[in-house]
Amino acid sequence: MAYDRDLSFVYFGPTKIVFGAGTARDVDMEMAGLGCRRALVVTDPGVMKAGLVEGVLKALGDRCVGVWSDVPQDTGVGIVNRAAAFAREKGADCVVSVGGGSVIDTGKGICILLTEGGGLENFEGIQLLTRPQTPHIVIPTTAGTGSEVTCMAVILDERKGQKILIVEYFNTPRIAILDPKMTEKLPPLLTVSTGMDAMTHAVEALQSVQREPIADGLAMQAIRLLHRDLPVCAENGADLAARGQTQLAATMAGWAFGNAMVGLVHAMAHSLGAIARVPHGIANGILLPHVMAFNLDDAAEGYAMVAEALGVRERGMDEREAAEAAITAIRSFLERIGHPLRLSEVGVTDEDIAKSAALSLSDGAIVNNPRPVLDEEEVIAVYRAAF
Amino acid sequence: MAKYNAMTQEWLDAWKEKIATSKEYREIAKNWEGSVSMIVNPDPEKGIPEPIYLFMDFWHGDVLEIALCDKAKAESAKFVMSGDYARWKQVAKKEVDSTKALMQGKLKLKGDLTYIVRNIKTVNKVIDLLCEIEAIWPDEA
Repeated sequence: MAYDRDLSFVYFGPTKIVFGAGTARDVDMEMAGLGCRRALVVTDPGVMKAGLVEGVLKALGDRCVGVWSDVPQDTGVGIVNRAAAFAREKGADCVVSVGGGSVIDTGKGICILLTEGGGLENFEGIQLLTRPQTPHIVIPTTAGTGSEVTCMAVILDERKGQKILIVEYFNTPRIAILDPKMTEKLPPLLTVSTGMDAMTHAVEALQSVQREPIADGLAMQAIRLLHRDLPVCAENGADLAARGQTQLAATMAGWAFGNAMVGLVHAMAHSLGAIARVPHGIANGILLPHVMAFNLDDAAEGYAMVAEALGVRERGMDEREAAEAAITAIRSFLERIGHPLRLSEVGVTDEDIAKSAALSLSDGAIVNNPRPVLDEEEVIAVYRAAF
Repeated sequence: MAKYNAMTQEWLDAWKEKIATSKEYREIAKNWEGSVSMIVNPDPEKGIPEPIYLFMDFWHGDVLEIALCDKAKAESAKFVMSGDYARWKQVAKKEVDSTKALMQGKLKLKGDLTYIVRNIKTVNKVIDLLCEIEAIWPDEA
């Protein structure tokens, strides 16, 4: 593998990881270690219904000053503003998020408003903050987003009708508690689709124009673990050892893409989510091999590393052959874990493709794609290949 | 080729002239609407004792204004970018990519990133034209 001789990058990954079955119950000790005494717990109705918050609340006891459980699948500025007002009213000095990406991003938004005041609509931008924000502890209930270790939040601005991106080193979660028991009851489709979200983070980090050796190493290990353990989780959700390994993989992939960034798969998946309401992980999984084929000429080196991690790079293969083997292996992997393979299977229409292609060109992820994408027709061709 | 003192109005005028006479820019930027400001944080050791505020206004391929300004005007722009002098110098000399610099916290952006991304060719062209101007930097003078 070759990096530029004048390679220069910033790697940022300050989150403490607490891992192990039952560690969600340690949240009170972790919180005390941060010097915090009054936690707002943020979650969503599904996580509440699954009974995943009870143990956290029991562990926190009097240290929990309130629960905000009104987080939808795609969180919004209005929701964050209301939740922050509630947190302020309760005197919260830290946030504990229990859930998936939308919950965690809501928690990130609340942390900013508790420190800075005002409304979240005023914080759209990149690296605007100048001081550490309210401490945030994250307990993920899926193994996919990696949001527990990234400094990014994507939140819908309901007034503008578009998602805003907030990227702030100072707002990275302080602690992520990876408790495999929190993902034990995740249904098979959600298990594989969130797992493919993590796989896509890792693969796109390896192909990114911002790739670097630390992120590459994390991405490679994430791919190895997902390849080995995601099929086990899909088959037997109660296998806590496999659940734990996929959680770790998702977190490592989070560090990888949080630094190296993602590319065209994410730009296209974000757009399909907005236009056709296709769940993010499913869109990523379906699109991944097709975008890899599109990028092949510009990302063979990164994809050859994917092939190594997947165990399909055979002796004597050159870089391009290994990259092609990686694409084939990703396709086989999707079939093996029972992931949807075509966009038409998940309700996408011709009309959705045209609208999503236009939207993809304004997604921040697209600038990090190894093959420059400036033409809508190129994006449409990839969508059609995946249709 | 003439050399200009960077961070001065004469340097900005030369940049404006470059943009205004670039047919390629006019074509690429035909959809761009709005102002951009650049805030250069002070660095007395490098010859920047006070913050420098630059205001640029672009509209459908035309460059309406590129000028030094005050803080209030800079903060009124549609996009406000800020950073240390050394970072801006690296961008202007094409030693770092502006998008990377933003994501890595070397520069700050207030505003809608999606608009910037949608018009990334415009942004890159404006920077390319800046790079064509021979400049004497305050810490090199």
